[in-house]
Amino acid sequence: MSDIFSFNGAQNAGWAQPEPILPDSEVLAIIPSSMLRASPPAWPRASEPELVRHYTWLSRRNFGIDTGFYPLGSCTMKHNPRVNERIVNLPGIDRMHPLQPEHQIQGILSIFYEMQEMLAICSGMDQVTLQPVAGAQGEFTAMRCIQEFHRERGDGHRNKVIVPDSAHGTNPASASMCGYEIIEIPSGEDGRIDLDALQSVVGDDTAAMMITNPSTLGVFEPDIARASEIVHSAGGQMYYDGANFNAIIGKTDPGLMGFDAVHYNLHKTFSQPHGGGGPGSGPIGVKKHLSKYLPSPLASRREITEHDGEGVGDGYWYSWISPENTIGKVQQWHGNAGAVVRCWAFYRRYGRELERMSEHAVLNANYLRFKIMNPDKEVLSKVHAMPSDGAPTDFVMHEFTLSMIDMKDKVGVTGKDIAKRLLDYGVMAPTLYFPMIVPECLMIEPTETESKEVLDKFADDFLNVLTEDPEIIKGAPYTTDVSRVDEVWAARNLILRHPGNNSESN
Amino acid sequence: MDQLPNLGREHEMLSIMGLNSIEDLFSNIPEEVRRRNPLPLPAPQSEEEIWRDAQHLLGSNIDLDSRPSFLSAGLSRNFVPTMVGMLATRGEFLTSYTPYQAEVSQGMLQAMWEFQTMISELVNLPISNVSMYDASTSAAEAITCAIRVHNKKAVQKDTIYVSELVPPHRMSVIENYVQGSGINVQLLKHDGNGHLDIDAASIANGSCAVYVEQPNSFGILDEGLMELKGKIGVNTALIVGVDAVSLGLVSPPGNWGADIVVGEGQPFGIGPTFGGPIYGIFACTEKYIRQMPGRIVGQTQDTNKKKAFTLTLSTREQHIRRHRATSNICSNETLIALMGAMHMSLLGPDGITLLAKRVAASTEATKKALISIEGVELLFPHSSNFREFVIKVPGDSEKAVSFMDSEGVIAGLPLGLWWTSHSSCILIGCDERTSSSDISSLVSVVKKWIEEVVK
Ligand SMILES: Cc1ncc(COP(=O)(O)O)c(C=O)c1O
Repeated sequence: MSDIFSFNGAQNAGWAQPEPILPDSEVLAIIPSSMLRASPPAWPRASEPELVRHYTWLSRRNFGIDTGFYPLGSCTMKHNPRVNERIVNLPGIDRMHPLQPEHQIQGILSIFYEMQEMLAICSGMDQVTLQPVAGAQGEFTAMRCIQEFHRERGDGHRNKVIVPDSAHGTNPASASMCGYEIIEIPSGEDGRIDLDALQSVVGDDTAAMMITNPSTLGVFEPDIARASEIVHSAGGQMYYDGANFNAIIGKTDPGLMGFDAVHYNLHKTFSQPHGGGGPGSGPIGVKKHLSKYLPSPLASRREITEHDGEGVGDGYWYSWISPENTIGKVQQWHGNAGAVVRCWAFYRRYGRELERMSEHAVLNANYLRFKIMNPDKEVLSKVHAMPSDGAPTDFVMHEFTLSMIDMKDKVGVTGKDIAKRLLDYGVMAPTLYFPMIVPECLMIEPTETESKEVLDKFADDFLNVLTEDPEIIKGAPYTTDVSRVDEVWAARNLILRHPGNNSESN
Repeated sequence: MDQLPNLGREHEMLSIMGLNSIEDLFSNIPEEVRRRNPLPLPAPQSEEEIWRDAQHLLGSNIDLDSRPSFLSAGLSRNFVPTMVGMLATRGEFLTSYTPYQAEVSQGMLQAMWEFQTMISELVNLPISNVSMYDASTSAAEAITCAIRVHNKKAVQKDTIYVSELVPPHRMSVIENYVQGSGINVQLLKHDGNGHLDIDAASIANGSCAVYVEQPNSFGILDEGLMELKGKIGVNTALIVGVDAVSLGLVSPPGNWGADIVVGEGQPFGIGPTFGGPIYGIFACTEKYIRQMPGRIVGQTQDTNKKKAFTLTLSTREQHIRRHRATSNICSNETLIALMGAMHMSLLGPDGITLLAKRVAASTEATKKALISIEGVELLFPHSSNFREFVIKVPGDSEKAVSFMDSEGVIAGLPLGLWWTSHSSCILIGCDERTSSSDISSLVSVVKKWIEEVVK
């Protein structure tokens, strides 16, 4: 095992830097002596050669899209085009400060503007802000705007937000952070929204409903327009969780479905790499009546005049504007600009053909589901129990849920066991136990960037797992760097940092 | 469009499913919500064309490295070691996601556990998470965390105190994050030297939390803050926002009673990047562990008793606790934190000390050079500064900065943009890369401005 704290080079032998521009004696005199740090942090003393090897070793113990198929449902783990990484190394983004004057940032402002417009077009919204830095922050931001909208109309008493029981955890968490009470409504027998249940909870206290479509079960909610009507007629606002945007671009949009606000997960749909869990980018789009509450600032443009500087050559001068009743800031600058630039480069690759991207995402999901659910006779005869659809449907959208409950009932193998066993086949496991309404749920999202061959192989491997000796499955994985890890041990012992090299103290 | 391996093979796949058209797959979308017109967007581009447009658009920006620059306001015009970008973009790191499957994510989990250790060492508190969105959301969520821990016993219920010098953009983030819980935000005053009025700060005793910054937004290192915990008492959380680099020289808040330390991680790992992606540091004592936000990695063992790592304490989080979660954060800034860990490990204990000295030296040298100019005054002549300090110039500082900009120097932040009462002030920001020649350029444009105003 490579332990970074075991590197222990001699003092001052590590990575070199230029000397300070004042001598030590003068530097130390700047800081009141009581404030001086007695000893530096006990960081490793490593050289570049050692560290390159350490991090390379770590990287080889990590699984990414580049390593293999990553069907993590709800997360849209698609290929990350590499030119995007090259672009963000340009000094015109890497070496930029968010408070530089407008004439120095025309290029980046034009990219912001283009992204705001593109996202508004794709979602049927009127105005977009790029400031929120993740989906959850987008949810929070939009709920804040909705909250101010109600307050200004004298509707500040509306204190309840409705979410389906299949909603992602961030939805209720974000609304709750705004001070809202959460009403969770059960899904219908078929996993779809239950309009009667919705009708029975809306009222004078409804602030909003938060919902994603396609739902977290991967199926389109056919009654969505009706749901919007119900919420609107009670005076509430409709919020669209755009995590599943990859399914619908060009086919429908949240505006058509009757939504007032939406977030986009750019790191999913538009491929910002988010190794280990982030960074993301979670812009929101809103209809006109909410746009004056958006965070500040927004990118704007007008025709260029001779008094302006050079511009970017498209005839426009770009600037920041502040919405009239802005809620202020949710991130301290302008959001994850580097992510916005990567997602711009990603979008440019498709342009008006973004619809093809969604078509292929949906094609791949349906194809994979078909292959898994329709094994040939020989395989079928060996499988202990077939999975069942999380929700009954003829077609799914960009992802699908499978319940492994029959495997559990018949041979005692859980969804988690199957997920772990799949790791031995060189793939990432599907999302496990989400949505919570599907028992022993595996949620599978292949994305558009996987070939037919990869899908065929995964279907074969998946079915093969279902034929294996249950004891083998339950003991999986076997071929990974470590065998099944003990999460309970971690929570019980809470060893949250390295003990350090020499002593326990600082 | 060249990102679709199955392009041109649609019919092969559809026919296996017994279908004719991709449209069949969208048949569950009711007519009433179907979009019928193509997206009014430009044609697809190739990689080569995208690169060309990116070079053109981003090339038209004026970057900080292209001229002497003194704009900081909490971000650093740092130098990131080459190793960082090269290793963090290894596909196994770059293209992974939250390590829910620990068995195939040991690399990132261990790297984050090491990161937690480095942050813990830096601020001298036992616990760190794997990153927040930025310094401001870190501060805001530290406050909401402290309220959950202390409100029950607090004498001043639902009340927190924040330094009046917290910059307005951070204040705005804090207000957005706390308003939902009906929190009453009080301001703590400063004296004529830009130091917190430490005796008056006792007023916060019995509230849920106090949030201050060290150095403060004027770049002032405030010795008095080291006594603050004694004034506010054990039942009020002391939350300190730090300049992470300063801790190479300056006593870490964990040494003087801080309960939670937050700050901007950006100086370690990534360029200023127009303000994001960057990452927020969040560290605390054991008392806050079950109420803190964000992901945490713990050591554990596998079924063979082999050492391993996994995400832990997840029951605080939204995917389990839903509306009772300690935070809504899900995707965070891990990849940037990984870059930070790489940078910190290259620096090592000697490197962080030297880095802090370089910033302190540049700050002092720039300050000395500017006050030698007739007509320039320091807003706080008796302060110790790190990275930033404030000067007063004749005339309106926004005009002054814009004049100096036209002379080829980014002179800093006109403070009137933050506080209208400070419209003759400029916040000058320095960093490890500030050179003597940068300082001479700044001095000469400041002199030129003064001549301009005087004439
Ligand atoms: C359905 C759904 N909603 C919301 C989110 C939250 O997005 P983020 O992780 O970017 O905060 C996610 C992703 O994690 C999601 O899958």
